[in-house]
Amino acid sequence: MEYDVLLELAADMGCRLMTSGAEIYRVEESMQRILNAYGLSSAEVFAIPNCIIVSVTTPEGRSITRMRRIAAHGTDIELLERCNSLCRRLCTEVLPLPEARALLAEIPREERHFSLPVLLLGYGLAPMFFTAMFGGTLFDAVSAFLIGVVIGLLQFYGTRLLPANSFVRTAFCSAVASFLSPLFVHLGFGAHIDLISIGALMLLVPGVAITNAMREIMAGDTISAISQMSDALLCAVAIALGAAVGFSVGRML
Amino acid sequence: MTVVTTYLLPCLWAFLACLGFSIIFNMRGLSVWIACFGGALGWLVYLLCGSDIPAAFFAAIVIGVFSEFMARLRHCPVTGYVLISLLPLVPGGGIYRSMAFALAGDTSKFLSVLLNTLGIAAALAVGSMVSSSLFRTVYSSMQRAKEHRSQASRR
Repeated sequence: MEYDVLLELAADMGCRLMTSGAEIYRVEESMQRILNAYGLSSAEVFAIPNCIIVSVTTPEGRSITRMRRIAAHGTDIELLERCNSLCRRLCTEVLPLPEARALLAEIPREERHFSLPVLLLGYGLAPMFFTAMFGGTLFDAVSAFLIGVVIGLLQFYGTRLLPANSFVRTAFCSAVASFLSPLFVHLGFGAHIDLISIGALMLLVPGVAITNAMREIMAGDTISAISQMSDALLCAVAIALGAAVGFSVGRML
Repeated sequence: MTVVTTYLLPCLWAFLACLGFSIIFNMRGLSVWIACFGGALGWLVYLLCGSDIPAAFFAAIVIGVFSEFMARLRHCPVTGYVLISLLPLVPGGGIYRSMAFALAGDTSKFLSVLLNTLGIAAALAVGSMVSSSLFRTVYSSMQRAKEHRSQASRR
């Protein structure tokens, strides 16, 4: 059996799962299961949020190791569900390696993404209804929708416009959101500056990082949990800093 | 009428806000409606329990159990359900208000709002942690009992 190819398959699967936003234990367990299904019981897998290491010893006594660096990524549930079902299938059917690799390579090509207008609609809907949920009026909700669309554009093109780290990008988005909400209220569009800002900031709030950190702790991956938690704290600080700047500028209107 | 405006409408808004987030997270199919329903359910529990730190804790427990159950039912990862359903409860307002008080120089209000925000975040975290661990323990022991019974009946 070609163990190099098998290891490559497992590492690819882990990489895909990690970039889709899966928890560490899911990544480790999936890779381990694939390797076990193909007959390697002595596989060692270690993953932290930005790195995966797999090491196996072949029956001939040769050991092979693969390491993958994971780039910064968002959350992509569609990719996660597809990888998960392929992983289940590989573990039960044990397809030939070339076929398995072809199926895995197929996933990003087959995967559907929302077009930019639909994505922006999502970025608008979320703050709009959060503002309504916290008790805002109809006009508050509409201005939150517009601010959400602006944040969506910034997030989408932000990596090109602001090539700096995510801290700066979050702070910038937060500053724009909390500058625009007093502006809209000043123009007579909406009445509650705080509700509009909070609705818009919900897009940036580190909910995913907090939830993931807790799930890592639950699974016993403390290092990953600490790194996710510090990510969440940094994100919250970035939001507060950006909002402070935007708020002060907006108040001068 | 008050029931509609104080409980049902906010839950409908929570549902629609979660729908927006499910687009951002590229979620598809039936999963979307399950996750959005979880978000609305969590917000209803939060409102019914009095919109405070314990309320966030109970809401997180309900969301955790609901998501784990749905994930088992549909054989797909629980990650997406929990992520989206918990989002309405994440204290974005707390971060904003504590920042506003800090800017205004009102230290005592800043500290109390900040502590409340941290408390809600911790309640969410502990709630979702407790519910998933409990669910897994109960579920796996139930599965084992089921296997046991089917083996016994075969004999």
